[in-house]
Amino acid sequence: MVAVRFHGRGGQGAKTASRILGTAAFMSGYVAQDCPIYGAERRGAPVAAFTRFGREPIRERGAIAHPDVIVVADATLLDDVAARVLEGADDRTVLFVNTSLSTEALRAHVPIPLQVTARDVTGIALQQLGQREAISALLGAVAARLVGLDWESLRSAIGRELEDLGLPEPVIQRNLTVAKQCYETVEPAPLHKGQGWTAGTTSIHSPAYEPPTKGTARISAAGNSVLRETGGWRTFRPVLIADKCNGCWLCFAYCPDGVIAMNRDDRPVVDYAHCKGCQICIHECPTHALVAEREQEGGVAWTAK
Amino acid sequence: MTWQRETFKKIKQIPREEHVLPGTALCAGCGGLEALRLAAKVLGDHVVYVNAAGCFTMLAAYPYTSFKGSWLYTTMGSAPAGAQGIRDALDILIAKGRLPQGEDVKVVVLGGDGSTYDMALSATSGAMNRRLDFYYICYDNEAYGNTGMQLSPATPYAARTATSPCGLQHPAGTAQEKKDLFEIWRAHRPPYIATVAPRYPLDLEEKFARAAAFTGPKMFLALAACPTGWLYDPGTTPEVARMAVETGLWPLKEAINGVVTHTYIPKRKPVEAYLRLQGRFQHLFEPTVQTDAIRHIQERVDAYWEQAMQEQA
Repeated sequence: MVAVRFHGRGGQGAKTASRILGTAAFMSGYVAQDCPIYGAERRGAPVAAFTRFGREPIRERGAIAHPDVIVVADATLLDDVAARVLEGADDRTVLFVNTSLSTEALRAHVPIPLQVTARDVTGIALQQLGQREAISALLGAVAARLVGLDWESLRSAIGRELEDLGLPEPVIQRNLTVAKQCYETVEPAPLHKGQGWTAGTTSIHSPAYEPPTKGTARISAAGNSVLRETGGWRTFRPVLIADKCNGCWLCFAYCPDGVIAMNRDDRPVVDYAHCKGCQICIHECPTHALVAEREQEGGVAWTAK
Repeated sequence: MTWQRETFKKIKQIPREEHVLPGTALCAGCGGLEALRLAAKVLGDHVVYVNAAGCFTMLAAYPYTSFKGSWLYTTMGSAPAGAQGIRDALDILIAKGRLPQGEDVKVVVLGGDGSTYDMALSATSGAMNRRLDFYYICYDNEAYGNTGMQLSPATPYAARTATSPCGLQHPAGTAQEKKDLFEIWRAHRPPYIATVAPRYPLDLEEKFARAAAFTGPKMFLALAACPTGWLYDPGTTPEVARMAVETGLWPLKEAINGVVTHTYIPKRKPVEAYLRLQGRFQHLFEPTVQTDAIRHIQERVDAYWEQAMQEQA
């Protein structure tokens, strides 16, 4: 059995990528299963999805604790402790990260010795598709190549899954062209198939009863959500070109998260620790004084505290 | 006679202070959060929010809250009942002198359209009937958004949702019309009802400032353009909201003691200008143009405005 775990941010297509991989494996004659983590996923929030396939019936269910392959759709997730990207990984695990960093630079960034591959899938998508966050087919293609599935099965899997999402035919065709390109940028990874994990002994805990007076999820702080930073959600950051700004306040008025404040000279100041990168300010700025700059990993990128 | 804003005339009158703090897990580009943030600038911090389960649950998901005031969580059907309990408790405690007058707070219900148009409608009707002194803010993204965009009674005709896909039997997607909640509310004759769209911030702020003068139910329907569910780039949330208003599909209006005034009269662009922006209507244009469905939407908007202008004249 091969177990592939996808990590992404809501809206990037990690779930669809895992479906594409599952369908492609099924079409190649394997038994396959795929599922996302269900939770209150939000566009930009960390999400995970799982695909298993093999020749024998798969009895395992649920989250993948020991993945053979980890596909990461957004490099900022590596710094996000809550996303638990590297959990259960060891030197046999293959890690793929969508990043503009080189494979060597990325390896220095990963604390445990994995087999690391880095490619700039977002860069390819922006160049070829001209859309941000439309990378499910591309991630699915990379994953399928890493686990050694053939292009024909993958091609029909992408077609089926994107059609299910209601995408029009020309968009699917464009995705297929770019997916082929991504498929060819990576090599099949040497997987240690068949060396399954021996399950450890698990003890079952029965939850203790807590009376509501003690056990409710009561918050007694005021306005403490600022402690949780959402800057890592961005693919692009808004950057001010000061001499173009006419001080109209529109960016401040329309920002849903209230992360733009106007200073004394009526110039916007962006709170990058919390800006989610929705780009409303950039779209609405009448003088084009706010521009989108792609987040780069390394010194410039926002990193979690 | 055109509607005049009295308190909010210029964009620089929007208060600088933030009352809904960042760090929420709501989607980037959330139109509902945009509306709440602007509303809270008028409501202030002396507020108890009573939140029906929905996307806004994420505003105060344990252990973080984005409010400086209080927040109470209820089931989808019972937020107005929760508001009644809080209002009564405040009134009794103040009357008995156990709470100083200065600690009185506004009670504000937050509900999505699934809760507001559907499950909590009877509780809302009861609260309005009892003349409960509270605010109700419905953030309307026209589907059950928090669970993955399932059909709600607020879903407009021909939108595609997870449970009203376009298939051979229903090529246009949703077959029903959007429930006219404004009129259902108005039949109860609360002192103040308004529709708002955050793309028109001064109109929104003015309506909250006006509502403050009334005792009793103050009801708000806020257009919550939803990049995740309506399938468009989050950066274009204000543009989508603007087109909803400019095509006439989302009329900006208020009703004071039942008397309706349209606060902005759009020149009415063709509805395609709005529909084309969103993935949930893409099937009306590709692979073939569903002329009948588009015409149907246009005719309903035309009929609405014809009647509205007659009544206003």
